[in-house]
Amino acid sequence: MTLVYGMIWIVVLGFAASAVGALVWAIQHGQMERFGSAARSIFDEEEPVGTPTDAFPRSPAERRP
Amino acid sequence: MSGVSTVPNGSADGPRQELLARAAIDRSCRAPVLLFAGSAVLWLLVGSVWALLAAVKMHTPGLLTSWEPLTFGRVRPVHLNMTIFGWASMSGIAVLLWLQARLARARLPFPNLLIAGGVVWNLALAAGVWEISAGHGTSVEWIEIPLFWALVFAAVFAVVMAASLTMFARRNVAHVYVSQWYLFGAVLWFPFLYLMANALIHAGFTRGVTAAATNWWFAHNVLGLWLTPIGLATIYYLIPKVIGAPIHSYHLSLLGFWSLALFYNWAGTHHLIGGPLPAWLVTVGIVGSVMMFVPVVTVGINHHMTMVGHFHRLADSPTLRFVVFAGMSYTVVSVQGSLTSLRSINEINHFTHYTVAHAHLGVYAFFSMAMFGALYYVLPRLTGREWSSARLIKVHFWASAAGIALYWGPLTVGGWLQGLAMNNPDVPFLEVMTGTVSWLWGRTAAGALMTVGHLVFAWLVARMLLSREPAPAVAAGPEPAGEGA
Repeated sequence: MTLVYGMIWIVVLGFAASAVGALVWAIQHGQMERFGSAARSIFDEEEPVGTPTDAFPRSPAERRP
Repeated sequence: MSGVSTVPNGSADGPRQELLARAAIDRSCRAPVLLFAGSAVLWLLVGSVWALLAAVKMHTPGLLTSWEPLTFGRVRPVHLNMTIFGWASMSGIAVLLWLQARLARARLPFPNLLIAGGVVWNLALAAGVWEISAGHGTSVEWIEIPLFWALVFAAVFAVVMAASLTMFARRNVAHVYVSQWYLFGAVLWFPFLYLMANALIHAGFTRGVTAAATNWWFAHNVLGLWLTPIGLATIYYLIPKVIGAPIHSYHLSLLGFWSLALFYNWAGTHHLIGGPLPAWLVTVGIVGSVMMFVPVVTVGINHHMTMVGHFHRLADSPTLRFVVFAGMSYTVVSVQGSLTSLRSINEINHFTHYTVAHAHLGVYAFFSMAMFGALYYVLPRLTGREWSSARLIKVHFWASAAGIALYWGPLTVGGWLQGLAMNNPDVPFLEVMTGTVSWLWGRTAAGALMTVGHLVFAWLVARMLLSREPAPAVAAGPEPAGEGA
């Protein structure tokens, strides 16, 4: 039983510590700043803002050779 | 083992370099992600058969009762485990690995280990549902698979966790995008919950009321800390990426993540309202559930405002249709869930089909639709092949969308009426039971419609994965990943 109680406390404290630790890390490493550029971080020059990247497949006749 | 090295970000070398880098990252995911995704689709098909069987047995209880493995008490948990740990978790891991690689701009590490993990996961699940069918299930909801196989799942979780952390450590991008926060929430927290719940319940350390409390704390977290973060991460990446517009408010997106992290894992005890638990423990669950309005409203507003001005794109993009449907369903299921956790409402819907409808709204209309949309986006980029039929994709979408709508709506109404009747001492119980039959027939019809969608989807995936045509160059580098991809 001691083992299980120990495990419960490790998991509970580990959970809380990981959440608090992640939040502190995020603030210290500038993750909570410059939100405009953060939102655009999934785009690049090849797939820039304004370029859709998904469409229904065209019928074989319409496809490029 | 290869493919561990990272690739350059490419922003300094222009678009072509970025294209090559992205194609190389996508290619590094190919074998493990296709294995997990392909397996998920197979489990979806088998899980649908067991789902239909369970649904039919609800209104035609005499069907296939002479052989124990096909009795309702075994068919229902087999369906649940196939769809949650087969379809949902395996498609979730496939999408999670691909997203982590893309967002970290790093190649997927440990491909061979992940492939082995996928094979082992399939074997463990097959063994688990075999055990349940043979009558060796644990009878603890959502943890029906015996402990040994649960430990095998935990080992595979460890590999997925290691791959995620390795990609993060090797990331080639300074900013941690909101989807990554969600994915880390899933991959770092859920495996511990899983291990913990299995250990506490199966090893006999909790009994009676404490076992029930542990059980529902865990079971709700399968949705809250596993499926929900993966689904939301997918939506937060794919909506902006498909329409080519950044998220409306990045502030809100982070507020949504941190409030979900804070509140969701408290919610589970609302399943035990009216049970013999200390009242404060149930109240804690209700408070956590109601506080979920914060992340849900932020996510709902954010997704909607991002889509404003782009709704016409739903006509062009298969991924967007599924993912936007998933996002809207997330808002609906979450608002419904928060309200349902209130004691005044719960005393009516508890122990009725209303709850079954609600669970399917979450796992199907939200999570599964997000995974369908993601796989429509990911698989062409990994195989280099185009989907073979736009018409069949539309058939899949409408069969699934109409199927879940017809499932949820009538069953919610029928369940509510059932609850009102059950609370009325003047109505005999048998009358309440017979009153549900027509609603249950509707549920079977809706399930059949969803299954049609699954068959169409599986056909499309099979044609893509098993095609003998040599893959065109799209995923190999020099050409874009296909305008139609």
